[in-house]
Amino acid sequence: MALATDDQILARYRDAEAPLLPLLHAFHERDHCLTSSALRAVATALRIPLADLWGTVSFYHHFAREGETRSAPRICTGPICSLRGAHERVAAMAGEGATAMPCSGRCDQPIPALVGDRSMTFAGSRLVPAPRSPLPAPNPGGLEECVFAGIRAPDRGTMAGYLASGGGRGLERARGLEPAALLDELEAAGLAGRGGAGFPTARKWRAVREAAGEAKVVVCNADEGEPGCFKDRALMDHDPLALIEGMAIAALATGATLGFIYLRYEYPETLDVLDRALTEARAAGMIGGAFEIHLRRGAGAYICGEETSLLNSLEGKHPFPRNRPPFPVTHGYRDRPTAVNNVETLCSVAPILARGAAWYRGLGLGGQAGTKVISLSGDVLRPGNYEVPLGFPLARLIHDWAGGLPAGRTLQAVTMAGLSGGFLGAEDVAEVTLDEPSIRARGSFLGAGGIMVFDSSRDMVAVAREAMAFFAHESCGKCFPCRIGSQRLTERLGFESGPTDQVEWRREIDEIARTMKATSACGLGIAAPLVAESLIRLFPGAVTEKFQEREAR
Amino acid sequence: MSTTEGPTIELDGEVVAYEPGETLYQIATRARREVPTLCYDPRLEAFGGCRLCVVEVEGIRNPVASCTTQATPGMKVRSSTPALEGHRRTILELVASENRQIEVDPLSGHSSGEFAALARRYELRPGRFAGRKSGASRHDDDNPFILRDYDQCISCYRCVRVCAEREGDYAISVVNRGFATQISTEFGGLLKDSACTFCGQCVQTCPTGALADRKALRAVDLPEPIAKTRSVCTYCGVGCSVDIVTKGERVVGVQPAMDGPANLGALCIKGQFAFDFVQHDDRLKTPLVRRDGELVPASWDEALDRAAAGFRAVVDQHGPEALYAIASGRAPHEASYALQKLMRAGWGLNHIDNCSRA
Repeated sequence: MALATDDQILARYRDAEAPLLPLLHAFHERDHCLTSSALRAVATALRIPLADLWGTVSFYHHFAREGETRSAPRICTGPICSLRGAHERVAAMAGEGATAMPCSGRCDQPIPALVGDRSMTFAGSRLVPAPRSPLPAPNPGGLEECVFAGIRAPDRGTMAGYLASGGGRGLERARGLEPAALLDELEAAGLAGRGGAGFPTARKWRAVREAAGEAKVVVCNADEGEPGCFKDRALMDHDPLALIEGMAIAALATGATLGFIYLRYEYPETLDVLDRALTEARAAGMIGGAFEIHLRRGAGAYICGEETSLLNSLEGKHPFPRNRPPFPVTHGYRDRPTAVNNVETLCSVAPILARGAAWYRGLGLGGQAGTKVISLSGDVLRPGNYEVPLGFPLARLIHDWAGGLPAGRTLQAVTMAGLSGGFLGAEDVAEVTLDEPSIRARGSFLGAGGIMVFDSSRDMVAVAREAMAFFAHESCGKCFPCRIGSQRLTERLGFESGPTDQVEWRREIDEIARTMKATSACGLGIAAPLVAESLIRLFPGAVTEKFQEREAR
Repeated sequence: MSTTEGPTIELDGEVVAYEPGETLYQIATRARREVPTLCYDPRLEAFGGCRLCVVEVEGIRNPVASCTTQATPGMKVRSSTPALEGHRRTILELVASENRQIEVDPLSGHSSGEFAALARRYELRPGRFAGRKSGASRHDDDNPFILRDYDQCISCYRCVRVCAEREGDYAISVVNRGFATQISTEFGGLLKDSACTFCGQCVQTCPTGALADRKALRAVDLPEPIAKTRSVCTYCGVGCSVDIVTKGERVVGVQPAMDGPANLGALCIKGQFAFDFVQHDDRLKTPLVRRDGELVPASWDEALDRAAAGFRAVVDQHGPEALYAIASGRAPHEASYALQKLMRAGWGLNHIDNCSRA
């Protein structure tokens, strides 16, 4: 088939909603990079100043510029992959143009790589196509699940299989309810955002419904960029119609006519799965007509998981976070009232409607409502996604459900909220339950539910440096404390620069951390210092050892 | 002071009235609080980047950027506390850690001393937070007007924003992200190949001298102190207020007046950079008249007689309607005034124009 011409590509998207990213991807796929002539064509078609477009394109990690190629391997150097030698893999394949990419959300599998739009993995030193993302194992505790309840049914990803295994009943019920009653049901269920912020879903949707303006929008935040988080990928890969059904219910509740799924770049297979599912959902009347969903692909930027950055990215703007207020519920996508919800949150909606608020609320333990999917990875025998009741003991998840640590190893630390929650030590792990009150009491938070396990052989200072390097790499550059602070913390944790005296070293870290937490413009800069702070609090001995090593040198 | 019916906030314990829509920064500044900032330019949309202007608001856990926070009735705000001052100093020390120098020559631009002034006010400790530098100077951009020394850049984006919001040129933008952020034209090229019109507004809003007035900096070694004289640009009819920058008798630069009612800190390339003619060696210092086809020096009396005779000859032959005068944009306002007076009052004509009536 002949390659599409510039005009054909432009004609396809120029009048579409949120046209910039699909246009750029179309040129990127055709030319294997974004050529200057393509950028000129896009700038002219969308009436974006060329300098602006150049800046915006450069913001994204995965757009190859002229002289580069998107077909060169990008190897995941996330926290878990780093432990398995990912940096050495990158170095070994430098001759093939290999570069590093931040955590690509496959921490439960061998080191992944992207070559063009193909997910690969290593067989020896060679890259071979990666297997599909694993289906979540049956609940090891035999506990009742919400979002994973139907995911293992045969052909669940097709409309026939979906309906046959109980799908569609939530939307059916929602269609018979007044929006107010629908919102009351969700409120009674106690559903809160599962992307990390934990904002009550019903309250968000009610705010959108009540906001002035008719053209309301529902956005699914599928930009799962937090290192150590891969739950949304499993949900979308194996139960895409549950997400779509949840969005259709969100549209009924909010009055939205327009929807988006904003999917991270690193999930190319998921893009195809969702595309097919959307087609089926349209054919079956689940969406289309009064509510249409557009699938949009990110291009490699952790900050685009921050909802206002995501909205700027959709709109084709530089993806800095916006100043708030106003909030997206009143001024979201193109200043329209917009509900931005995480994949897991939206996937919970249909089961709640189908089975009732009391059922969902009752799934939690100790007064907590509902369940949470935890992405567990690192030094455990059975890494993977586990749906736990909120309030479930972390130690049971690690030791009973996931098989514990490899023989002869003991637990040294875990990360919480992917990386954003910093570390918890072994004592905390023994006591903590998986819910925000319990974890926040220990200076961390559950967030999106990524937990990485590190055994006693791991160099926690090196792990912390890698983590901070991730935040520095992903800092958007808008606010001073995060832009410079995350860099300086990385340098200090790597002993590249900064005081050689340990007391002074700690004082600098304390000062930077305190100011980042208090003054950063968004959650990235507020959370990033937790890694450094919890390292120093939990592992002062490991830090002292590093100083002794330096003095010995 | 008369009592007010409008909304108020409590600022550092004092009740302060405000207009709905005002930000905490605007209110605090009006109430003579010296809230520090580096990314704020009152002409631009508030950005909230530098976080120096953070203030404490009762009921909100973290400090908020006062430049982006609108007041609501009854808000209790504290603009300066030991914690806030500590954060401000830390942020400034982080900024200082990535720049080559803090003090820059004031010829660099109107706002170029802002960062240095804050550095002095907060008594930054040298060497604090030392580490990698982020800027990449573009000394290869050899345009005669704008020095692009990004070793001094602090990524406040005032240049990018003034170019977009005030000038509408969109010549420069923010590329990359985080610590790798740079200011760039499209494709990383030179200003002359970009949409830049060399209006100089980026130079004049830059708070560190990263973007600097290359022409003014030619005079950096002149020993005399810098003086500024308020005037109005002669080039066209807009009436942009300027401060003519001199050292001794020498005009060394022009800066836009930020409070100029017609321009609010804006100028064009001519008003900003085209002043060399004023003291150029080629400039006439005595009247010249033509004798046998050659221009030769003459006395003012002789020159004026010749000019008057020329006018008279035209009027005698064709009538006064045949006269027409164009004043030069490089002439002083006083000369332009005299010329129109000659045409209007002297000859009774309105045949008067200016070479650059923009």
